Amino acid sequence: MNASARLSMSSLRAHKRRFAGTFLAVFLGVAFLAGTLVMGDTLRANFDTMFGDATSGTDAVVRSADAITTPGESEGVRQPVSTALLKTIGQVPGVAAAAPSIQGAGQLVGANGEAIGGKGPPTLAGNWITDPKLNPYRLAEGRTPARPGEVVINRGAADKGHLEIGDTTTLRTPNPVKVTIVGLATFGGEDGMAQVTFTGMTQADAEKYLTAKPGEASSISVRAGPGISQTQLADRLTPVLPKGVEAITGQQSAQENTDMISSQFLTIFTTFLLVFSGIALLVATFSIHNTFAIVIAQRTRENALLRALGASRRQVTAATVTEASVVAVAASAAGLAGGIGIAAGLKALFPAIGFPFPEGDLVIKTLSMVLPLAVGIIVCLGSALMPAVRAGRTAPLAALRETAVDQSGASRVRAVTGTALALLAVSATLTGVLISPSLLLAGVGAVLALVAFVVLGPVASSTAVRVLGSPLDRLRGVTGGLARRNALRSPRRTAATASALMIGVAVVSLFTVFGASLKATMDQTVSRSFAGDVAVSTPSFGAGGSGLSPELAGAIGKLPEVDTAVGLGRGVAEVDGKGRALTVTDPTALARTFDLGTVQGSLRSLGTDGIAITRTEADRQHLTTGSTAQLAFTDGQKKTFTVRAIYGQSELAGDYVITRAAWSPHRTQDSDTLVAVSFKEGVSTAKGKAAVDSIAAHYGNPQVQTRHEYAQSSAGGIDMMLTLVYALLALAVLIALLGIANTLTLAIHERTRELGLLRAVGQTRSQLRAMVRWESVLVAAFGTLGGLALGAFLGWVLVKASDGASDSAFAFALPPVQLVVVALVGVTAGALAGLRPARRAARLDVLRAIATE
Amino acid sequence: MTTATTTRTAARVVDAVKVYGVGDTAVRALDGVSVDFPAGRFTAIMGPSGSGKSTLMHCAAGLDTLTSGAAYIGDTELGSLDDRRLTLLRRDRVGFVFQAFNLVPTLTVAENITLPLDLSGARGDREWIDALVDVVGLRDRLHHRPSELSGGQQQRVAVARAFAGRPEVVFADEPTGNLDSRSGGEVLGLLRRAVQQTDRTVVMVTHDPVAAAHADEVVFLADGRLVDRMDSPTAEKVLDRLKAFEDVRS
Repeated sequence: MNASARLSMSSLRAHKRRFAGTFLAVFLGVAFLAGTLVMGDTLRANFDTMFGDATSGTDAVVRSADAITTPGESEGVRQPVSTALLKTIGQVPGVAAAAPSIQGAGQLVGANGEAIGGKGPPTLAGNWITDPKLNPYRLAEGRTPARPGEVVINRGAADKGHLEIGDTTTLRTPNPVKVTIVGLATFGGEDGMAQVTFTGMTQADAEKYLTAKPGEASSISVRAGPGISQTQLADRLTPVLPKGVEAITGQQSAQENTDMISSQFLTIFTTFLLVFSGIALLVATFSIHNTFAIVIAQRTRENALLRALGASRRQVTAATVTEASVVAVAASAAGLAGGIGIAAGLKALFPAIGFPFPEGDLVIKTLSMVLPLAVGIIVCLGSALMPAVRAGRTAPLAALRETAVDQSGASRVRAVTGTALALLAVSATLTGVLISPSLLLAGVGAVLALVAFVVLGPVASSTAVRVLGSPLDRLRGVTGGLARRNALRSPRRTAATASALMIGVAVVSLFTVFGASLKATMDQTVSRSFAGDVAVSTPSFGAGGSGLSPELAGAIGKLPEVDTAVGLGRGVAEVDGKGRALTVTDPTALARTFDLGTVQGSLRSLGTDGIAITRTEADRQHLTTGSTAQLAFTDGQKKTFTVRAIYGQSELAGDYVITRAAWSPHRTQDSDTLVAVSFKEGVSTAKGKAAVDSIAAHYGNPQVQTRHEYAQSSAGGIDMMLTLVYALLALAVLIALLGIANTLTLAIHERTRELGLLRAVGQTRSQLRAMVRWESVLVAAFGTLGGLALGAFLGWVLVKASDGASDSAFAFALPPVQLVVVALVGVTAGALAGLRPARRAARLDVLRAIATE
Repeated sequence: MTTATTTRTAARVVDAVKVYGVGDTAVRALDGVSVDFPAGRFTAIMGPSGSGKSTLMHCAAGLDTLTSGAAYIGDTELGSLDDRRLTLLRRDRVGFVFQAFNLVPTLTVAENITLPLDLSGARGDREWIDALVDVVGLRDRLHHRPSELSGGQQQRVAVARAFAGRPEVVFADEPTGNLDSRSGGEVLGLLRRAVQQTDRTVVMVTHDPVAAAHADEVVFLADGRLVDRMDSPTAEKVLDRLKAFEDVRS
């Protein structure tokens, strides 16, 4: 072992505690990262296995070749195939069995009257395939449906809705269907495919409720006879199929299902987590850098002595770098192990909280091992590099001087650089946001703003701490005054410590502001474009839910209280080659319950070949009233529509509106997503709502909401997202707080004698503890306020940039209550971070502290 | 000298024993010392290094606890006090001057002087403090930081701080140890005058016979025991007495 290595080892042994904070910061960051990656690997592999298992009996799938995909959707809409094909398929040599598979949306109502699921994962209904090998579901209990109204549901859904075999409940298809549960099923050995619910009915029922007309199926599952491979089967099937229908192998089909889950859920899930582990690691970088900087500063004399005794710059630097490497490798390795542990723990935990992930072993890919290790080591070594170089530059003469406390920080160069950066950042963002909307420019400005904050930190910290701490002098007397001055001692150190927290808080505030703005935007949208009195909808989110019965609008419309009730359905078609979502409704009634802005042309006479489009889409496609557009539907039919009306506001009504009559030849399962109701004059909202409620109760009990309630619930998903974001950011904030605690501990070590003196002349332990705690609070308050300011600014940039980038108007909102809560949490957390250092400081031995050297 | 002052003791220790460590490595720093520090007097504790003089001062001042025996400030027995009460006692009834690092670097001179009073939240006697500032001659330095003062000036601030709360007794631990002789003389003169002019009590640990000569009385410690007392010491007499120890030991 060479001299440098020996020095670093002995230093590590001697200062174990000092590196505990660094170790913990790297450990947490790496564990988060590794946990995320391993979790992603495992889920992907397990879903793969599950689909493989579930569909192992299906050797080929016959379905429509074309799918229309609208923007923002990963799974396209396919036209059903005719069940008449079954006969053709059955005659193909090598086919052992073939069965139609009808799939649609069907949401079960639980024992308590509430709908099951619908908050993200799909709620499926289909025919119960009688050939057990072709059915991906396995009957676990009870029997298969034989008579109309009998269903098998997956066990997960049954547990969730507290339903048992023999129970009668409602299935929203979306027309309410009374069903009796006769059996429970499993999927790929699990109670369900994650949170997806499934209801299997007889084929006749499925055709009746889930397809537009009898004799259709979503696809046909085919099983091969002995000795025929999946590819051979598909190859044999292809020639007999009509145009527009294809045969794929069972493996391909399973792979598509897995890919769909991956792209819809897993990729978003892991990307999301990776972003947050990135933030945690960024915060960790600040904490680690700070710790090394302080340790090096405290060791100036020791390093100077080494230099005086003949150690080269290189050796001193190398000793420090080695020290950092040992911490980096140890912490990263521990973090990796911890991350795998987290993934294993979560895997065990999720089923316990009703989130059944498929069974299977933990899967750890090489990348998931190497990446967290590499990132941990790079972050740790990178943070230690500058301090190490500084250590090497220690002048031998420094050994003779009193160890000077770092007084740098508020230098003129820093102030000038920082201000220049801040100006650049503001002008870049303002240009990007206000003058020539550009997300890139706004993004660059946002990053520059962050850098400017970090650079200006030490300059600002003195003023900020002085101002923030001024009430302390009065309120807490000499204890508060001492705390304030301690926080002012080294502006650079205070700023670096606070920067870590600042980044965490900035991200929290950014999301808070953005979330509030989104809510305000939705609120604004609803209040601007929804002119009705109540809205009927099913509370759903993502792919879940089955929508509303198309008969509901008509039923409500017959109420004496109601003036207009209009249902909005959804259709898809390709307009000029691109998949588009269509709003299927009664356009005349639509205009009465929605504010469509200025309407050019007439909504009254769309008929079966007329279409209404928004001003923005019309401009984009160069269409005016009277011009024509070709729509291609999923059934392969193409039809030319004439633009009969162009309307101004699209927020709730969508971009393309066609009539029900025009849509019905091309539809599959029929449902409305929203029924907008306006009352007759003189009918109070309460009375009208009660009347609508009574009708809705017969249609699977969807939610009837007033305009205000509807606006609020549209924003409900945002709160859920925010909660998740806060939970994930807690780690970054925790790391920042560890940084504060660590800096304080180091500072206390530095001030041993001073603390001893204070105790000797009469500072009580509780006063000493309070002093350290208040210092911690001041540093945290500085970081929190900086973070709030930065976060609010970045939030504004994000909102304005989104506003510029999208067609609809974005509102900006600063939520005062939430931001005050963030501030309070930050400051309270600061007090908590100070607890341990304060306790340690109070345990100090007075005599040892004042003993003369 | 009146009878009243002779019977009043500001601090005392009775059969003080202090043992550091256990077993074979145990060291008896104090080995049954009993000594009174009369009020209104300036007492110096002398002895060679390792004689236990600093330990005696620390135990008498409530900075350290005795293994056995008792220590009193006025009539208060220190062994019965918990850490909090001891701290309050030090704050309100005792003053300290240490050899070095006497001042809190973040506080100004004025704030350092009133630190114990500020810690207790008391306003203190402003006239008295004002007078003290003049006595130590630091009026023009009140708003400076300790780092801007010379060593002698720093010790003078420490003396002012020690007396600011009119404590029953001021303990000084080698107060001139780090000073040149002129600055040291000034500090000792200050302590002397405080005792004479304002009827304060000072107990000072020193190894310097010249410093000890400023005291009213010197107590000599050797190997943890009280070996001698000397009234009205002079530097020569103290030096001779110390030499006598050396001779006995060798």
